[in-house]
Amino acid sequence: MRRPARWLTVVATLLLLATATAGCGAGGDAAAAGSLDVIASATFLADIAQHVAGDRFTVRALVPADADLHAYEPTPHDLAAVAGADLLLVNGAGLEGTLEDTVRAAAGDVRVVEASAGLKSRLPRPGEPLHAGDSGAVARETDPHFWLDPVLVETYVQNIRDAFAAADPAGAATYAANADGYVAKLEGLDRWIRGQVDTVPASARKLVMNHMSYGYFADRYGFTIVGAVIPSVGTGDTPTARQLADLTRAIRDTGAKAIFVESGQSPALAAQVAAETGIAVVDDLRDHALSGPDGEAPTYIDMMKFDTLRIVEALR
Amino acid sequence: MIDWLTEPFTLQFMQRALAASLIVGVVCSVLGCFVVLRSMAFLGDALAHAILPGIAVAYLLGVNLMAGALVAALVVAFGIGLFSREGTIREDTAIGILFAAALSLGVLLISTVRTYATDLTHILFGNVLGVTGADLWLTGGLAALVLVVLLVLYKEFVLAAFDPVLAHTLGRRPELMRSLMLVLLALTIVVSLQTVGVGLVAAMLVTPAATASLLTRRLPAMMAVSATVGALSSVVGLYLSYYLDVASGAAIVLTATALFVAAFLVAPRRGLVWRRRGRRATA
Amino acid sequence: MNGPGAGRATGDSVLLIDDLRVGYNGLPALDGVSLTVPHGAQVAVVGPNGAGKSTLFKAIVGLLRPQRGRVLVHGRPPGDQTDPVAYVPQREEVDWRFPVTVADVVLMGRYGRLGPLKRPQPADREAVRRALEQLAITDLAGRPIGELSGGQQQRVFLARALAQEPHVLLLDEPFTGVDVNAKEAVLELLQSLRAKSITVLVSTHDMETASQRFELVALLNGRLIAYGPPAAVFTPAHVSDAFGGQALFLDGMVVIDQCCPGHVGDGTGHRHEHDHRPELWHRHGEGREAP
Repeated sequence: MRRPARWLTVVATLLLLATATAGCGAGGDAAAAGSLDVIASATFLADIAQHVAGDRFTVRALVPADADLHAYEPTPHDLAAVAGADLLLVNGAGLEGTLEDTVRAAAGDVRVVEASAGLKSRLPRPGEPLHAGDSGAVARETDPHFWLDPVLVETYVQNIRDAFAAADPAGAATYAANADGYVAKLEGLDRWIRGQVDTVPASARKLVMNHMSYGYFADRYGFTIVGAVIPSVGTGDTPTARQLADLTRAIRDTGAKAIFVESGQSPALAAQVAAETGIAVVDDLRDHALSGPDGEAPTYIDMMKFDTLRIVEALR
Repeated sequence: MIDWLTEPFTLQFMQRALAASLIVGVVCSVLGCFVVLRSMAFLGDALAHAILPGIAVAYLLGVNLMAGALVAALVVAFGIGLFSREGTIREDTAIGILFAAALSLGVLLISTVRTYATDLTHILFGNVLGVTGADLWLTGGLAALVLVVLLVLYKEFVLAAFDPVLAHTLGRRPELMRSLMLVLLALTIVVSLQTVGVGLVAAMLVTPAATASLLTRRLPAMMAVSATVGALSSVVGLYLSYYLDVASGAAIVLTATALFVAAFLVAPRRGLVWRRRGRRATA
Repeated sequence: MNGPGAGRATGDSVLLIDDLRVGYNGLPALDGVSLTVPHGAQVAVVGPNGAGKSTLFKAIVGLLRPQRGRVLVHGRPPGDQTDPVAYVPQREEVDWRFPVTVADVVLMGRYGRLGPLKRPQPADREAVRRALEQLAITDLAGRPIGELSGGQQQRVFLARALAQEPHVLLLDEPFTGVDVNAKEAVLELLQSLRAKSITVLVSTHDMETASQRFELVALLNGRLIAYGPPAAVFTPAHVSDAFGGQALFLDGMVVIDQCCPGHVGDGTGHRHEHDHRPELWHRHGEGREAP
């Protein structure tokens, strides 16, 4: 019985060594002067942060544009990249779901910055799929889709600017200047959207979403959300027959003209409801996904303009 | 009262959901008689999960998901037959190995697909509300095919199941019948993807047939009763899911289970209540 | 070694076995067997447990392929024609809980005449009716197979064999483990089959019955020890050759101890044959038990 016992000891020792060394070597290198290694969870967030960073460094995005942010599972490659970074920028308020937990567990000493820190979640309006008076769990669900309201993104910019300045004090002045410039652009965007929305008659400003993503947009620009195929701020639920039936009825009662399906989502159920009610489906709304540099939405501001046009065209 | 019955089905997608559930309820229950009699319940469950890589590949290639599911089911079915034919591995073991491998392959492939994560839930648990008209044609066609084959070759299946020695003596090949049964099982599972999903199709194969086995003594009667139980479970389950606002696939399976429990308790001669009473009477 | 009829292919022999070697997993259980059976004869195949009686029958019906030599029924190998041979195994390895009735089971005997796609015809149902009547189990026709006693089950499988309308009938140990009435019933059946010129081979270790009721006896033990009329076969030399230490000769009387069969003769494996109804829910002991 000597041989097997010895073999086992060797294997066990090797395993122990492997796990011990796995912990080391995960720390990032010190940032070169003026350069930070920053990863943002999503493409739109990376773009916003890039405008604050300016020329000092490049911000990378973790979740690919065509993926579902709510349900993204990071690969080992992703986690290695995060572990080596100086800052991880997330939207926060529960958007990234388990992504944040996984990252914190795997790369514990990376600094995580919540872009939406300080923003208060909206509560569902009466008539929307989730009522504040429903069970506590529903009421507790925070709506993280702040970024679809450009005015709220100004808070994002401030949080990002402060985080960059703390990590790289030498560039604080640059970050502040970039931030101010970008905020001005956001205000311009806000005015532009308002102008577009004005072309839609007030009675037609009714949105039906695939999931509850455009709450803040609706609040800011005077839309009513008639309902959502997936009655949740997340994408993981499946609606029941009753919920779909209620949505169908709501569409018929309010005369909503289109269902909007966000990028990365399956339009199958929305198509069923649309067929039932005879309304249109717009299935390429971009709620978080930027396109490539040659595409229709290479930056956050372009994305918002693209979305606004799609919405306005469908409802006019 | 009539309103209460008709209200859910004023919506077209509910009508399609009902049609799909009925079709699946009937074909699963009828084939399920053979699954139960030949102890293929584990096999049925394993096959259902094993189609995951087929769906993943179909998705990646952009082809019809049901076609991918069908190919995967057939591959796994033949694989099980191959591994266990030589007798070196027991069928039980072969099933366990292939099932785990296929499921893992499916998970791996799906992890490379970043979009439509919710669709995985739909594959596992069904999404009967998403049945389109085209889906319904395909479902109905495949189900009809399975039932026709079962009916036409009925005596051959029974012979192969009941007495393979006689089958050999009469010049038949019972192994072929078993392979064909696996193919029919694969088809039935694919048909059921939409309504109850792979997680629950095994239940629809086993539970109505088990209920029928408690209520009948002959196979034709068993198949008829099983089909009725399956259909009833589907309809009642859908109504329950609508009025109780719960998931439809699970509601259907739980209805079938409730019917089974009822039969288990009160079936004439074989139900628990009757047997206890008989014991007391003779005591 | 070989009795009359062996080696000669006569014009009216229905069954010819020529230098047959057959067995399992490559090992022979029977070797060098040659005999011919004339049309309409009734042959008792006798030997201790493990002698190869069942093996011989399986070779005749085509369930086992010869390792050497050949079996010819009506001049052709088994399996080549529809239903000339019906085989009733000693223990049916069927699924007793399968929801089929007696009539269903007997009808299966007709499937050889029907292809996979054909449904049973009125002529088939008539044959079933006659077979049930012949075995006196007409009143059991609608009974599920699992609800029968051992004796009734034997009759059902006999009826099934008759429904096949075979030319050759093989009965594997029909007298073993059954009561006197059942035995008599089988013997009566054999009488009636004589009238129809159906060739019958019956395996048994009941030498008394074999010598009294059969005109030909084949004595086996891994090989053919003797074949011919009972008087020529049951000599002390042949019997001790076949039964080895189990045979005791006392004053012109032969006593055979069959209580605890050990390894007899050639030492190949044998099966303990018990008479109980097998509970076969799992065919190969696999899969989950259905509720």
